[in-house]
Amino acid sequence: MTERQTLGSMAQIAKHPIHPMLVPFPIACFIGALVTDVTYSLTAQMMWADFSAWLLVAGLIMGVLAAVAGLIDFLSNRLIRAQPPAWPHMLGNVLVLVLSFFNALVHTRDGWTSVVPTGLILSVIVVLILPVTGWLGWSMVYRYGVGVGR
Amino acid sequence: MTFPRWHMLRNARVSTLAAFCTVASCLAGCGDAGGDPSAQIGPHPTLPEQTQYLLPPMHIARVVGWKKDETPTVPQGLKIQALATGLEHPRSLYVLPNGDILVVESKSPGVQPIRRPKDIVMGWIESLSTSGGGNQQSNRITLLRDTNGDGMPEVRSVFLDHLNSPFGVALVGNDLYVANTDAIVRYPYSTGDTKISAPGTTLTPLPGGPIDHHWTKSLVASADGSTLYVGVGSNSNITENGMEAEKNRAAILQVDRATGRWRLYATGLRNPNGLSFEPQSGALWTVVNERDELGPDLVPDYLTSVKDGGFYGWPYSYYGQHVDPRVKPERPDLVAKAIAPDYALSSHVAPLGLVFYAASNLPETYRGGAFVAEHGSWNRTTLNGYKVVFVPFKGGQPDGMAQDFVTGFLTSDDQARGRPVGLAVDKSGALLIADDVGDTVWRVTSAGP
Repeated sequence: MTERQTLGSMAQIAKHPIHPMLVPFPIACFIGALVTDVTYSLTAQMMWADFSAWLLVAGLIMGVLAAVAGLIDFLSNRLIRAQPPAWPHMLGNVLVLVLSFFNALVHTRDGWTSVVPTGLILSVIVVLILPVTGWLGWSMVYRYGVGVGR
Repeated sequence: MTFPRWHMLRNARVSTLAAFCTVASCLAGCGDAGGDPSAQIGPHPTLPEQTQYLLPPMHIARVVGWKKDETPTVPQGLKIQALATGLEHPRSLYVLPNGDILVVESKSPGVQPIRRPKDIVMGWIESLSTSGGGNQQSNRITLLRDTNGDGMPEVRSVFLDHLNSPFGVALVGNDLYVANTDAIVRYPYSTGDTKISAPGTTLTPLPGGPIDHHWTKSLVASADGSTLYVGVGSNSNITENGMEAEKNRAAILQVDRATGRWRLYATGLRNPNGLSFEPQSGALWTVVNERDELGPDLVPDYLTSVKDGGFYGWPYSYYGQHVDPRVKPERPDLVAKAIAPDYALSSHVAPLGLVFYAASNLPETYRGGAFVAEHGSWNRTTLNGYKVVFVPFKGGQPDGMAQDFVTGFLTSDDQARGRPVGLAVDKSGALLIADDVGDTVWRVTSAGP
């Protein structure tokens, strides 16, 4: 233990933590997938369901990368783990990725049942979780100063 | 040395696929191997509840090819031998009046766009089974001439080359029609020709690209020669490429031979192939590949007579009024009038060839019945099909249980030596089978005294 034990990020580039650089991608993709799922359910135009399938896969890829960076920070620094929002933020986002993985599988079905109802329900649940885990993540940075330079 | 490397690569890919399929089958509900296929043969198949998969079972027999002196298996008293080997993805057969045999070698047009991530995975899996044909020299017709009928052709020549994914062939007088994937093309033919070099004339375009999911266009001419019937498969499994892509598809078109004008003769036939006239009734019959991804025992493929103006369900329903929940908007008006097909062949067998046996070389019991070539399943964990079956007929209708006729396309550990596609009966009355994976044409005759 040094006297300057900090909340610094391990996965970082020139003291810029990688995790917050990546998290906008899955958030935007999963919200986008909800929008295209809703549009498909209203129009039955397959193009919208195809958009959802791409958005889910892109969101998963970027989400896994964000998770790797986040987990490196989480596991490498006991002080980060000790912050109150850390565990719920991590578990909530793992849940987002697991649900979205199953959602991507549902979206490989052909036609209407690739979205309605299961895919649409999963998209809604994921988008409801995202503001909660996002709020916890912002708390980590803006309230507790995780990854913020001294 | 390209070939061994490719082979190793393919083995590696197959192992990955096997691992993937294990995970997939558990996600899909472990152990749903399906019931006894024979419960789904005949006029009234059992139709179980629908399954909606997280991952559909994908089990394709890995291709190993035929070793020297290996052949498919035929019933006692019959003989099978290769009429020609080393072909390039032979898919259908046509026998000319002088006995010459046309072997249509054809590969998938390969123009199906990637619309979503699933298409990447499916394309990769299909490439393992080579059902699309990866060969360079394909898309041509090879002529075989076996004058003395000993099963060893004296003449083998490239009859027509540079075709566009051809499948059906029909001769009327001196007009030879070839059904490419995007058009019916007419060529001048004289008895005895072994090569046609004249350019073809398009009789009519057919629904082809840009997606062209089911691309084989089966062709038959009416007895009086005035009309051609052509099968046009759907552009998707179950409209997942959009309803607009299905225009004039999943149908049999009736084409006026004189003008090329056509109309929809029958619709709702997802992928009709093997168009043939039943000799006793003169009715048009077809085999149809039904939809996938509803379960190992849904939906049974079938053999059916085709009624003028008939609607057979696809995409809205199957076997009459069994509604498919994957299709929106719904069309209860069409579902109400959907005709249940005559004879189920069991699920996912992929019938692609049909021929009625009106000759006399084979034993009496086969006369008047139908042979059906089943290319084989991919969408169930226990393989189904991969054989030629015989369906007895009486009074112009199927009469009794289908019997295995030519088997042995699979090894004991479910690898594919070959897969049967097109069928024909040659001038001597032997049954011919195009094997697109074994690159062979097989000939079945009586064993003789």
